[in-house]
Amino acid sequence: MKLGSYILKRSLLMLLVMFGVLAIVFAIVHVIPADPVGALLGGNAPPDVVERMKEQLGLNKPLFDQFVNYVWGVVHGNLGNSIQSGRPVIRDIEEYFPVTLQLSIASIIISIFFGIFLGIFSAIYRNRWIDHFSRIFSILGVSMPVFWTGLILLLIFYYILGWLPGTGQLSLFIIPPEKITGMILVDSLLEGNWEAFWDGLRHLILPAAVLGYAATASIARITRASMLDVLNQDYIRTARAKGMPKRIVIYRHALKNALIPVITIIGLTFGGLLEGAVLTETVFGLPGLGRYIVNALLVLDYPAIMGGTLFIALVYSLVNLSVDLIYAVLDPRMRV
Amino acid sequence: MRRFLLLALVFSFAAMAFSASIPKDTVVIGMNTGIFISFDPAVCYEVEPAIMVMNIYSGLFKLQEINGTIQAVPELAESYDISQDGKTWTFHIRKGVSFANGDPVNADAVVYSVKRVLQLKKSPVWLFESLGLNANNMNETVKKIDDYTVQITMDKSYAPNIVMSIFAESWGGIVDPKVAQSHDVSGDMGSAYLADHSAGAGPYILKSWQRNNMIVLVANDKYWRGAPRIKTIIIRDMPESTDQQLALKRGDIDIAWNLTPEQVNSLKGDPNFNVVSVPAQSNEYLAVNAGWGPFKDVRVRQAVKYAIDYDSIIKNIAGGYAIKVQGFIPYGYLGYVSDMPFDQNISKAKELLAQAGYANGFEVELVTNTTERRRNEAIAIQADLAKIGIKANITIMQASQMYTKMREQGIQMIIAGWGIDFPDPDALAKPFADYRVKQLAWRMMWYDDHAADLAEAAGFELNQTKRVEIYKELTNYWFDNGPFAILYQPLSYWGTRAELKGFDQTAKGYSLAFDLTKMYK
Repeated sequence: MKLGSYILKRSLLMLLVMFGVLAIVFAIVHVIPADPVGALLGGNAPPDVVERMKEQLGLNKPLFDQFVNYVWGVVHGNLGNSIQSGRPVIRDIEEYFPVTLQLSIASIIISIFFGIFLGIFSAIYRNRWIDHFSRIFSILGVSMPVFWTGLILLLIFYYILGWLPGTGQLSLFIIPPEKITGMILVDSLLEGNWEAFWDGLRHLILPAAVLGYAATASIARITRASMLDVLNQDYIRTARAKGMPKRIVIYRHALKNALIPVITIIGLTFGGLLEGAVLTETVFGLPGLGRYIVNALLVLDYPAIMGGTLFIALVYSLVNLSVDLIYAVLDPRMRV
Repeated sequence: MRRFLLLALVFSFAAMAFSASIPKDTVVIGMNTGIFISFDPAVCYEVEPAIMVMNIYSGLFKLQEINGTIQAVPELAESYDISQDGKTWTFHIRKGVSFANGDPVNADAVVYSVKRVLQLKKSPVWLFESLGLNANNMNETVKKIDDYTVQITMDKSYAPNIVMSIFAESWGGIVDPKVAQSHDVSGDMGSAYLADHSAGAGPYILKSWQRNNMIVLVANDKYWRGAPRIKTIIIRDMPESTDQQLALKRGDIDIAWNLTPEQVNSLKGDPNFNVVSVPAQSNEYLAVNAGWGPFKDVRVRQAVKYAIDYDSIIKNIAGGYAIKVQGFIPYGYLGYVSDMPFDQNISKAKELLAQAGYANGFEVELVTNTTERRRNEAIAIQADLAKIGIKANITIMQASQMYTKMREQGIQMIIAGWGIDFPDPDALAKPFADYRVKQLAWRMMWYDDHAADLAEAAGFELNQTKRVEIYKELTNYWFDNGPFAILYQPLSYWGTRAELKGFDQTAKGYSLAFDLTKMYK
């Protein structure tokens, strides 16, 4: 019951956050002294053509009316039509989000794997060379621009060695699976299309590695800190004193408790990845949500920018909510 | 065991690397497709999608580069007559031509397609409207005479080349009315459907478009000039130019669309690749606001033109991919003037400034947009202007923001480009010299009636020789008085694999003409 009311409370708060995001984004995009019609029509169009297009799109109405209209639409599940393409924004999101989701899942798996292992080793071999190495390794991941790492990996594994395919989601002459979830790997599995699965997986390795590596540092750092904290506690000393093998103490007794704060950071990192990694998507030519929103920004496509941002805010909030719920399940003290 | 598995994995990856190469009847293009919005001829207005639309939809005319000049040649209009007063055109439509799905191309289809553009009122509509056609008068002005004859009446007697050129472009593509109407959603005349489907009679059919991912065109075997040799054209979205370079070198694409000058130069001399370049249909210019402060004085405007080092900009910033042009009519156009009156001459520029009473110079805001090339041009010109005492403060903005400010006449000095809308000097003379059309001259507040009169007169002159003379007179007047300095005419360039032949013919006349049927392997 307590959990139920907790979820309800959080959901109401989420609505408030959504409205705030909406209002702020609306204000920001309308403050910019440019107009989307000019961007849409390019530099050549005469002023009266620009004026007429504004009227067609309802952009000459007072800002407040535009805002009310938009909110009214959103409440009814309508994110509006993209100014640029005329398509419903919700359809665009449907098309682009699965690509970002698949990339994010693959990346977070990689960063959890590296992050947790590096964190554990750092903690166990504190201030020894393994610790230094893992810290430098993970810091490098955050500090090297994704753009650069991506190009270097493509240069090595695609161009020089030829082990992995170049950009895109699938090779040219591979028949893609029917769209079910929109995630190529999942769809080809569901369809039993092994060729597409294998090819899609090979295409995913580099972008996921680049993005996952960049996200490793924060997870490694929190794991290390949390692990050190736990390793200094009395029950660990007791376990060791009883003569338990080091391995069992570390992986069974310490790790379980040390992982609780790590879950928060994993959740936050995952939420961040879902915002769409624009640069990774650009370098690897992936049709993801990040690129969609950035393209929309460049031409001031208001509905697309607002719809995309709102969607991301929603996803981010949902991920956060799930993390908190997992937290509550893992640590009974949190439920009080 | 684990190590063995790892090794096996690595080797199997390596083995997979030698994937199938591109078949002989297929061409793969690597391109940044971020600006693709729609393949509907009545909607599409951006350069790259428009040239694809021209290969999917045939129009009454087709643009071709013949002997260095882009001309409109009859395509679906087998012939045409122009009335005595020059306003009414009668088009005789080629018989026996069908759309890719087998429906006949006839007068109904032509009338429907023209009216469709006028009714939908999307980005390209103003070009038809500039001929006096609009949604209110279309039932009187666009008429079917019989099954294969269409009559269109303009409001004035425009020079024939203007009319033909406007009808030859992507928005003039003839759409199959049956297909469009059967996909009509709340009166959009099939526009949502045609964004990613096709219903044309051109050499190619749009098979699929996955946004930001891939566009597939397949040959239309019913094309009236005969099926094209390349059966499949795949455009892969590669937003990053380095990716295009790597993929081209690995043989995964045949054409790299968006290489930088350095990248394309690195292909030169390698027998596996060709570099194809053609004069672009645009002008790169510097403009000053003739209604603002010091620039009201014609001598100050001239001083600016004498301050710029044009050759250095072409060599160092455009990487040599530009042609030196100083008139507003570019190379390859009717009325092109080869005179180059302006070279950097600092002492003359200073003298002109002194005569105008600005011996100590002045401060001005120089606006341009975010592309790297424009930034560099702004920096070079800032340095040039400093030599004559003008202090230019550079402001960089998004193109959309810049053009908005320009349309409000709110820019003192700007570096920008003008993409040519249709291949006729009218498409340049009007924007650059006639303030009445509210284009560039108006935006830079150059309210010069003599220039405007000349530009208008040339537009209505039916005698070609006389027309050329008027343009020459206008250009010379404009050199002395106008607020513009043309920096150069850019070159468009591509890197291609050597096994792809005929791409130089395909690209001739880009971005107004682009004929995919000319390439083969």
